[in-house]
Amino acid sequence: MIVSWKWLQRYINLNQLSDAEVAERLSLSGLNHESTQALAGDWAIDLEVTSNRPDCLAHVGVAREIGVLFDRPLQVPDPQPSVSGPAIQSLTSVQVDCPELCPRYTARLIRGVKIGPSPAWLQELLANATGDPTQFKSINNVADITNFVMLECGQPLHAFDFDQLREQRIVVRAANEGEVLEAIDHKTYSLQAGMCVIADAQRPVALAGIMGGAATEITERTVNVLIESAEFAPGSVRHTSRRLKLSSDSSYRFERTVDPVGIDWASRRCCQLILEHCGGQLCSGVIDVGAAPIARAPIRFRLDQIARILGIEIPPATVRRILEALGLHIESEPNGNQVWLATPPAWRRDLSREADLVEEVARIHGYDKIPEDHAVPMAVSQTTPLDISSQRVRGVLTAAGLSEALSPSLVPAVLSDLYSPWSTAATLSTLQPMLGVLDTKFWNNAGPVDCVRRSLIPSLLELRRINEFRHNLPVELFEIAKVYLPGETFPVEPTMIGVCSGRSLLDMKSVMAEVFATIQRSLKVRVEVVQDSFFSPGRGLRYWIGEQVFGLLGEISRSTQKKMKLRQTCVVGEFFLESLVQVLQVIPQAQRQSLYPAIERDLNFILDTKVRWSELESTVRAVGGVLLENVAYRETYVDAKRDGEGKKRVLLTMTLRSLDETLTGKQADDICQKVIGACAEKLAAKLVAG
Amino acid sequence: MSLPDFVSQLDALVSEAEQSFADAQSAEQLEAARIEFLGAKAGRLKAVQKLLGSVAVGDKPAAGKRLNEVKSAIESAFQAASERLENVVEEVCDETFDATLPGTSWTTGRIHPITQTILLLKDIMGRLGFTPVEGPEIEDSWHNFDALNVPTIHPARDPLDNFYLASAQLWGNGSSGGADMLRSQTSTVQIRTMQQRQPPLRIISLGRVYRPDTADETHYPMFHQMEGLMVDRGVTMSDLKTVLRLFATAYLGNSVPVRFRPSFFPFTEPSVEVDYYWNGRWVEFGGAGMVDPNVFQAVGYDPEQVTGFAFGLGVERLCMIRHGIRDIRDLYTNDVRFLAQF
Repeated sequence: MIVSWKWLQRYINLNQLSDAEVAERLSLSGLNHESTQALAGDWAIDLEVTSNRPDCLAHVGVAREIGVLFDRPLQVPDPQPSVSGPAIQSLTSVQVDCPELCPRYTARLIRGVKIGPSPAWLQELLANATGDPTQFKSINNVADITNFVMLECGQPLHAFDFDQLREQRIVVRAANEGEVLEAIDHKTYSLQAGMCVIADAQRPVALAGIMGGAATEITERTVNVLIESAEFAPGSVRHTSRRLKLSSDSSYRFERTVDPVGIDWASRRCCQLILEHCGGQLCSGVIDVGAAPIARAPIRFRLDQIARILGIEIPPATVRRILEALGLHIESEPNGNQVWLATPPAWRRDLSREADLVEEVARIHGYDKIPEDHAVPMAVSQTTPLDISSQRVRGVLTAAGLSEALSPSLVPAVLSDLYSPWSTAATLSTLQPMLGVLDTKFWNNAGPVDCVRRSLIPSLLELRRINEFRHNLPVELFEIAKVYLPGETFPVEPTMIGVCSGRSLLDMKSVMAEVFATIQRSLKVRVEVVQDSFFSPGRGLRYWIGEQVFGLLGEISRSTQKKMKLRQTCVVGEFFLESLVQVLQVIPQAQRQSLYPAIERDLNFILDTKVRWSELESTVRAVGGVLLENVAYRETYVDAKRDGEGKKRVLLTMTLRSLDETLTGKQADDICQKVIGACAEKLAAKLVAG
Repeated sequence: MSLPDFVSQLDALVSEAEQSFADAQSAEQLEAARIEFLGAKAGRLKAVQKLLGSVAVGDKPAAGKRLNEVKSAIESAFQAASERLENVVEEVCDETFDATLPGTSWTTGRIHPITQTILLLKDIMGRLGFTPVEGPEIEDSWHNFDALNVPTIHPARDPLDNFYLASAQLWGNGSSGGADMLRSQTSTVQIRTMQQRQPPLRIISLGRVYRPDTADETHYPMFHQMEGLMVDRGVTMSDLKTVLRLFATAYLGNSVPVRFRPSFFPFTEPSVEVDYYWNGRWVEFGGAGMVDPNVFQAVGYDPEQVTGFAFGLGVERLCMIRHGIRDIRDLYTNDVRFLAQF
């Protein structure tokens, strides 16, 4: 809302106040000061008005605030236009078919006006209130007066050329689907059923509360003018305005509600100014359809609530002065001590409860009067297991060279359908898509970004693709974020760790092993190879903790790579963070370490190619006993000539150590023999001779 | 030869020998020095020893004693030098090795700047006694709007301004009894926490929120918020101002001016906007206020018994000002060159 300093002075004496001082006080009492433009003999002050304060979308409202802040009286005109025409009811009628869209409609009629330019003072004020007088275009005296009254009191008005109304009457109704209206911006709008229109006997002549129609606008030939001052349902105005992508000063105010008592005041004020500047005769009476404004109920205000909420005492005399200056009527409750009955004025619909009054007192008295060095009781806070876990995960992954990414939770169907390892249920989708988040140069036919993602993997592949395209190699990324798996009434939202790396599967596997080890040093994680066409054959792994699957890691298949137009293959993985939280060892415990040297023994086995390392390792561990500290894989060697087809040699190293003594060669040999025996029995492994 | 002459020769010999042994840089040099001084046939010690015969008989005991001292001093100097040289390995400089070459590639990853900002916010709020709580991102409109005192006809509920689920009933139908939208604010978590727990409460919730703005330099349809809530008996606006002042000082530093001005949010009353003065203008830091009694009623708290304050702020804006990021989209494109900067 831009207010003109000069205009404000019509209602309040601003002598000895500077614009900066006033702007500052307004900012600190709720009308945030955006900027001030210096104009010839005036200042245009731009104030941000919150949606609960439509009364301040007007000069009188802002003047009232200044009056309260600086304790100066407010003078508001009392328009009593003189009547000289016949009764309006004898000349026209107003029929409201949709009271839910238009709770109240008033009309006054002035005959014999002379349309012309508006007076200089009016043009100047209107121009200054745009903030940029060079952009202002005066329309004509009647139209300018309706705009002036709107900017004066906040009530939008509309003036119709009465003679252009078919049958000279007004019908307020819902539009019929397909009706069209040419508005005064000379654009034609197709109306949809349910939009509120002002019509005459035959056709829509205005978009209720938004804009008038071209057919009935005031022109040089206009003689008789019907002045509309009404109230339209905020939701309906907003809905229509957004559907038609047409907003105006009028719709902006109706969306925030208007003062029900001010409707008649604005109508009279407008008529008074028209008579004064355009001539004509005002028909007697007013057509007023709809419910009369309901008298405001008093609010019970316990003065002790001020200290209870604000933490400071404010003298009752100060409280009373503030509330009365804001237009409230105060009475003490008959037998109540320090309890008032405060009746708010019609223009303050936002005041209906005690809490609202506490806020009014606080903002006028000044938030700066409330101390900000109060002794707030101390309290301890905890770091949650989820935060501890995710920080440990981030620590290992960043140490391993992966950077953290954050990507949108919505993806297009093509990415949603690429891979969904955790849910086969159809993806949830949103009515509105996300706009501007997809690389549409690449995904030119991807459709809307409206699928709530079920996996982080497609998003990470997309990030990899973008980086590849920009020649940003290597691309090593992870993301910790929720995925959304459709459920009964609410989706399940597990937090996932997603990884995407250009290194080898086994490299990433050891990175993940390190991640798990920081969660719990001795965590037992099991893997199995999965058959999944998303992964390269034999290169996808499913991860288990106990009997629970908690993740996947694998090298993407050639067809996945092709679908994503990736130049290089990569390894992706996704793990349930909550599964790790469940086994989180918050405080790692020290284990006693042996002080004796270890003995290492290499064993080189000939095995069927099909035997997996995991089987070999578990066989060795099963018989190794407490002295077996570690089993390390060394290498695989295939020599079909010596060992035959379908065979391989696997070299492993066992580390043997005791907590209590230096092991002897004999002890080590005994363990080796047990291991060799078990591997022969379970895996048909033969020890390489020599 | 007089005793003093003999002794002075011995002294000269010991100091020369010690110097030679100390100067030896290799086993060869040391061996040469050994032969010079301790050689069995022509060593200089041997030569001096021969002069003992010419010393007067009466001086012989003193001269012999001195000779033995010198002999043992030279031998121990040799011993020390050979021990010193034992650990020296002869090395040849490889001229092809260039130690000024860049180090071999080793990179660590970086934590996303948004996460870094969130961790900082959690850290500061943790010091003030606020513990993080979690809640769903896909919500029902009761938690997102109704419980937060947002009227059914409020513009904030407009279908064009929210990500409603395609499966959910449309605007105006009220609570559908299940998830129907992507949350537009983290305040939903306050509601869920208050429904589950009794005061006193000191919590923060952080996370993703969604509003369908078209992505451009300053907007993104997904962003992050931090929401804080403190509820107890006797919490006042003075507590609110104190906590936010401490928070702002911890985040921005002591020298940055902060101001509190009235604002409007449906879920707080009175409502506050907190600004800080940065590069010559006031910048919005976040919104706050005393919890509206209607919110307490919605979660089953008695507003006559407890009071509280809530505050919220946008993480992106803080992160962008902090790191000089000009385009919000950079945060979610995840160009690895961008990420590597933090």
